[in-house]
Amino acid sequence: MNLTRCYAKAILTNGSLWFWAVAFMTMWLGIGAFLESQGVAATRSAVVAYTTSWYAVIVLIALSLLAAVIAGSYAYGSSALAYAFRYSRLTPAGYLISIVGGSALLGLVLNVVLLGATAGMFGVRFATTLLPVDPAALLGVSLVGGVFFMALSSTLALLAINHLGLRSADFVGYVPLVLSFVLGNAQLYVTFPRWFIYGSPFNDLTSLLYQGYSGSTPTVELGTATVPLDWIFLVLGILVWTAAFVGCTLVLLRRIRSRQLEERRQI
Amino acid sequence: MLDIRDLRVTFPGAPTPALRGINLRLEGGKMVVVGANGSGKTTLIRSILGLVPPTGGTISFGGRDVRTIRSEPGLSTNLAEVYRLMSLPVRDLVRLYALLKGGDPAEMEGRLREFELDAVLGKRLHELSTGQQKLVGDLFAVSFQPRLVLLDEPFDNVDFARRRRLVRLLQELPAGVLLNTHELELLGPFAGWQLGLMFEGRLLGPFSVAELDRLFLTRGAIPGALAVLGTSLGTFSVTRDAGDRLVKSATSLNALVESLA
Repeated sequence: MNLTRCYAKAILTNGSLWFWAVAFMTMWLGIGAFLESQGVAATRSAVVAYTTSWYAVIVLIALSLLAAVIAGSYAYGSSALAYAFRYSRLTPAGYLISIVGGSALLGLVLNVVLLGATAGMFGVRFATTLLPVDPAALLGVSLVGGVFFMALSSTLALLAINHLGLRSADFVGYVPLVLSFVLGNAQLYVTFPRWFIYGSPFNDLTSLLYQGYSGSTPTVELGTATVPLDWIFLVLGILVWTAAFVGCTLVLLRRIRSRQLEERRQI
Repeated sequence: MLDIRDLRVTFPGAPTPALRGINLRLEGGKMVVVGANGSGKTTLIRSILGLVPPTGGTISFGGRDVRTIRSEPGLSTNLAEVYRLMSLPVRDLVRLYALLKGGDPAEMEGRLREFELDAVLGKRLHELSTGQQKLVGDLFAVSFQPRLVLLDEPFDNVDFARRRRLVRLLQELPAGVLLNTHELELLGPFAGWQLGLMFEGRLLGPFSVAELDRLFLTRGAIPGALAVLGTSLGTFSVTRDAGDRLVKSATSLNALVESLA
């Protein structure tokens, strides 16, 4: 059994992860479909835009939740990792590939479930077919998104373990989730400048998910004009951020400090 | 194989050092370190494993400073914290660590059967009893061809029959062993091993377990003593064949020192 298979098995058989990242997020999609949709205009374009926006934000939050929970386990395994990097064949790069591979796999499964739930529930609510235009692109984006969130959450968790102490680890773990919620939702109501969307990995992801689901290019207001976002810059944005956080994670993993779990107790 | 020189460890904010100038050399031999709770035995093992950064001194394993060691599977331990890489049933953990250590999982599965622990294979570590967790850690430590095994209180919460099996396994193990215990009365079967006495972060010795019934502790600094120990309760000397109290007569080093203080 190789390490990636071990992680995939540990993650895929974790009931709590399934509940919070899949069932709980599907429930939120249900709220979007049946409770929050009263004011949506009865036009095809409005329904597609509403459905797609909900899908994009929920995927963003679900991926960040998934990554935060998995990265939280660094605190439990800090001694095991510090020991294994010295006294076994495990390397930081090998470990990172395994944990990112395992979580990206669950991210992929998660996205398939959320895609099905979105198309099903919103389709029933609006009595129309709301299938994604480019499901392959959506799976690709969710895979990259899974890696990005895992790398971001890992960087934050390892910073807490190595430099701040385990008491900070719980709080630091919420940062990607809060940013996903705030920036994902804000894009629906606030006119962000184009550079901000290209530079924000959270908005790169929501924009790409929006484009993959609806087939429409997302736009931003520029003065009085509406201009489309270029998907190449969106893809570049998320890839650069992902590479940066993967690099940070590797550096921090090499120096992981053994911590006693009891240190995590807040009160 | 293991060479420790003037190892000192002080934890941040602690009023006194946990380890004070430990010197130890182990070339494939076997050694028992006896000390009371809080004397620094576990900190010594955690330092060798690289889990506690030394304040001063050096630790080398196989001629390499442990701070720079990477991917050297020859050193193992029974500390449960190092087997918590992920939450998996013991069966999968055995396969995982066999892979990481470059060993055969059948070796440890066979030992688990030998210790009548087959039932734990399908359970996760947190689902095991304290004694089962300790034994699984012990068996991880001795499996997959280690060159040096560090055992922290390996007999705690282990029943008598399995203790005897474990002692036999350790006697026959073709590897160096450093075993910590606080129980002096457990030393009987380890007659051929070296002995270290740990008190308030200092390691005295090496002596021989076989000469335990000749070692005495005497109050004060005795000229020609085997070792002199400065403690918060005063100065004591370890002497051979004569002295205030026979080391073996006490249940623990703490009780021994306190009885003389």
